[in-house]
Amino acid sequence: MMQFGWWLLSFLARALEPPERDVVLGDLAESGAGFGLAMGDLLGLIVRRQVGLWMSWRPWLALFGVCGLAGLSLSRIVFRLNVDLYKRYAAHYATDLTDRQELAFFLCMAGALLVWSWTSGFVLGSLSGRAVWLTWSLFYFVVLNSAWARFVLDGNIILRNPLTHEAPLDSLQGTLRFLMAATLPRTIAALLFLFPALFGAFVGVRSRTLAVPHTYLIGSVNVALALLTTWATGWYDPAHLPAGWPGVPWPVRLLPFLLVSWPAAYLLACTIPMGSHPKDQTRSDMREP
Amino acid sequence: MLGEFEYLLLSAAARLGDGAYGAAIRRGIEGATKRRCSIGALYTTLDRLEAKGLVRSWMGDPTPQRGGRQKRMVRVTGKGVQEAKAFYDAVSRASQGVGWATDRARGLS
Repeated sequence: MMQFGWWLLSFLARALEPPERDVVLGDLAESGAGFGLAMGDLLGLIVRRQVGLWMSWRPWLALFGVCGLAGLSLSRIVFRLNVDLYKRYAAHYATDLTDRQELAFFLCMAGALLVWSWTSGFVLGSLSGRAVWLTWSLFYFVVLNSAWARFVLDGNIILRNPLTHEAPLDSLQGTLRFLMAATLPRTIAALLFLFPALFGAFVGVRSRTLAVPHTYLIGSVNVALALLTTWATGWYDPAHLPAGWPGVPWPVRLLPFLLVSWPAAYLLACTIPMGSHPKDQTRSDMREP
Repeated sequence: MLGEFEYLLLSAAARLGDGAYGAAIRRGIEGATKRRCSIGALYTTLDRLEAKGLVRSWMGDPTPQRGGRQKRMVRVTGKGVQEAKAFYDAVSRASQGVGWATDRARGLS
């Protein structure tokens, strides 16, 4: 088999657990099978293992809890931060807040986005294991697109190509622009989400759990940020809403921040010992009897 | 009761004895059935048998022929032997008086 073929097989085999990866690549080398057969064998095993992962509740919790619940709430925060940054620093709308108040608001939102993204990414990686490539991709698309997609579906935003004024999917160029907008992180808020969420997932897949002091720290920071952002948004809303609008009541403002903080609550719950973790139950203890 | 492929795997592993590992078992199954055995089917079945306590597996030494990679060695447990014997007995009983089984028995004698 050609060198590139082996490289490709070794790369794909990374989807398997390290001991099994070694065994399977060894079996393929020993069998002397051609590239096509070896690839078919390897992909067959990877598909079976990936399907097997979904027999557990953990990836499902990652899918509905992190991608769904936390992802939708994070998406609203990313969208809100983008809109507020645009209004203040691109369109220069007057918000009736002092520069110091605005800076505090943006720092609070940005800090919260960083911490919530890391925590969600960590829990996603911890729950998904080797299915993380799928759950993380979905999480990314939900966070980047769900908030504005809701506005598009409600008819509050109409998508048009700024140059040709065509609908985005009317031409190849428009379709490509639309796909790029939906897949690439092109705003500050998207980047504030992307890097911590990626790093969190990477750590989560590797270590699965945090040390107890770190868990308490993450939990405390999440609670503090939920309260701070609730306070800051309340302080911001009445100032830029038309006169006579009372602004959103604090429990309503707190709710999305609580939803986005549930991964921290999950981490805290995991510090209570509830039996062995699946990672400790290796398929065999890989020692000669 | 074992499945057909589980029985084939247990038989191949038992026949190989101390030399039973993934690739050798696969060759054994392919030789017996004259059909291709996929790595996916082999290792997922092996995991299932191990979860049922019918085989035990561990990592063996790497060999140059495998590019220095380890083998997954397999040993059939006592419970595995019992289950395989029960399956074989059931198939033998079910085959009594059946045309293809009696023809085969005559051919062998």
